Amino acid sequence: MSSFSRVGLVARREYLFNLRRRSFLFAVFGVPLFTFAMWFIIFAVMEDSENDLGKVEKVGVADASGLLDGQIVPLDVPVQFEFYADATHAQQALDDAAIGAYISLPAQYLRSGQVEIYSYGTVPAALEDAVRQLLLANLSQFAPPDMPFDRIQNPVVMSIYVNDTGRTLTEANIPALFFLPMIFALLFMMSSGVTSGFLMSGIVEEKTNRIIEVLVTSVSPLQLLTGKIIGLGLLGLTQLLIWGAAGMVLITVGQAVPFLNGIEFPLTLMLVFGVYFILSYFLLSTLMAGIGAISGSEQESRQYSTIISLLFIIPFFFIPNFIAEPNGTTAVVLTMIPFTAPMSILFRIGFGVVPPVQMVASLLLLFLTTFGVALASARVFKWAVLHYGRRPTLWQVFGVLRASRTAEGGEARL
Amino acid sequence: MPESVIQVERVFRNYGSFRAVDGVSFEVHRGEVFAMLGPNGSGKTTTMRMILDLLKPDSGTIAVFGGPLVDAARDRIGYLPEERGLYRNVQVIEMMIYLGTLKGLSRRDAQQRSQRLLERLEMGDQSKKKISELSKGMQQKIQIAVTVLHDPDLIIVDEPFSGLDPVNSLVLKDLLTEFKSRGGTIVMSTHQMTQVEEMADRLFMIHRGQQKLYGTVDAIRKQYAQHAIIVEGRGDWAALPGVVSVETRENGRSSAVLHLAEGVSSDSVLVAITSSGSIHIERFELAVPDLNDIFIRVVEENRL
Repeated sequence: MSSFSRVGLVARREYLFNLRRRSFLFAVFGVPLFTFAMWFIIFAVMEDSENDLGKVEKVGVADASGLLDGQIVPLDVPVQFEFYADATHAQQALDDAAIGAYISLPAQYLRSGQVEIYSYGTVPAALEDAVRQLLLANLSQFAPPDMPFDRIQNPVVMSIYVNDTGRTLTEANIPALFFLPMIFALLFMMSSGVTSGFLMSGIVEEKTNRIIEVLVTSVSPLQLLTGKIIGLGLLGLTQLLIWGAAGMVLITVGQAVPFLNGIEFPLTLMLVFGVYFILSYFLLSTLMAGIGAISGSEQESRQYSTIISLLFIIPFFFIPNFIAEPNGTTAVVLTMIPFTAPMSILFRIGFGVVPPVQMVASLLLLFLTTFGVALASARVFKWAVLHYGRRPTLWQVFGVLRASRTAEGGEARL
Repeated sequence: MPESVIQVERVFRNYGSFRAVDGVSFEVHRGEVFAMLGPNGSGKTTTMRMILDLLKPDSGTIAVFGGPLVDAARDRIGYLPEERGLYRNVQVIEMMIYLGTLKGLSRRDAQQRSQRLLERLEMGDQSKKKISELSKGMQQKIQIAVTVLHDPDLIIVDEPFSGLDPVNSLVLKDLLTEFKSRGGTIVMSTHQMTQVEEMADRLFMIHRGQQKLYGTVDAIRKQYAQHAIIVEGRGDWAALPGVVSVETRENGRSSAVLHLAEGVSSDSVLVAITSSGSIHIERFELAVPDLNDIFIRVVEENRL
């Protein structure tokens, strides 16, 4: 039997066995409910940071409709409006960072009510409110007598253009752009957390009940580890597919619900999610495998795995920073650290734009770290799986990582 | 010359500064039951693990089926480790099929063989039960079944009888005997000397990592035999020609050990007994020690 077949057999067993576990079924069907609850909580929290106009300060106005005629009714809003001859000049000022955003009133504004906001990065909800107030105030004072009744009723039909990405935010799909990355981040955490947890507890079980000794006379420790990681990785993907399908159904059925209306799955976000999911899953699972191999009990391994899981969710604590400054120092640093990169990149894509160089650097660092951790874990795994009775000390583990073979326990075959 | 299944030559293995295996050499022949003996911590399991390539020797060579242990050779081996355990929340048959397929069986083949073996072990009705629902003895029988499931050429069994009641010990012994009768080779580590005496062709004893005894069971027992005879009956044993001293044993059967003078054969003593007319003889045998005595003697000698 080939080495590939042995890996396949282990992968098949891990996939089918864990697929039927109660905890997996709960994760698949219980977690979506939890996710939606989280969605609403995050939405409530975000309201606050959305009102921060400090980053915008000056807002350009390009009025092709002639409605405002260079006059602004003084408003009690913390932004300063500046007139530009046309959208090109306003765009120039935005590029030069003289203004934080600009609004463009097209010539047919009075007929359509169409107002466009252009900016780099996120447009705070408070700015939209300020623009709405501005137009309402001006319409009430300078409106021509032939102004359509529609405009009095509904002065603004807003479109927001986030310049770098070319993505358009209509009022309807703002939740989609903000919340999709967060949902993806949560899905990633749940999915990879569940599967790598299975991986770790499986290894601990095989080690504590000694069946590992029989297994490694049939498959090599590396074949065993690879089979487990592949089998459980496929299980994670199955979980995501089920969630994805459920999400699609929910969106299709729920078009009538304003909150869900307009949600779509942008291809770039999906692609980035896919790549980061696979790399991070490997990073997390190889780490968990190493921990499982050196842990004396499931309880002990859970303590270690909790610490590692916490590393991955650090970006959640910095959500306000991602919203306010998607390209700020905190966001960039978190994108470069392999453990925090997956969440950070998803947040940044949602709230702004990630320069390609940073994304490549982040992926490269994540890839190299995953590769290094996989090698180290495989080495520790093959040494530690037969090392039971007493827990290896940290020094012994370092010794294994440093040397090709060790005095304590020796190496099994790869 | 018998064909070698395992060849171990001058193998050393250290754990840190502790020498677990100290230059041992032996061969296991095809179709024999080879017993590995030694007190706890003597190096038996380490030697077995090196044979199975789970550990590398520091020096020396080990050949299995004539060469290094490649995957194809590994599939021809069944291993029952001393520290035993099974997946707990899995059906018996499902686990047996998994372990069988890992040894190269097809799923269908693994299923049929598992069911047959379970029937053979009088556990046919347990196949759909979870392992955790079985008694400890039953779990042990499953493990033994898994060891021979893929019909290997060689099985390495570490303390196969420990934890089994007399009935199940007999079932296991029958299974091992049947395996041997089909031409299989058995390497067995055990502390139960009666099993070795009954089943083993040859033995190897290791103590503190060093080889102490190696050879056929009969040869080793004779090597430790005293120049004496054990008798049971009535009469004046001391009056027999060639008997130097008599050691009576109070075991309720009036037996005695007759120590013979140098150059006196047991045959001549038997002739003297039968011709004396005054001695009633019920038992007459050479004072060959059992393996248990030899085991204890070797360990005691090395303690000094």
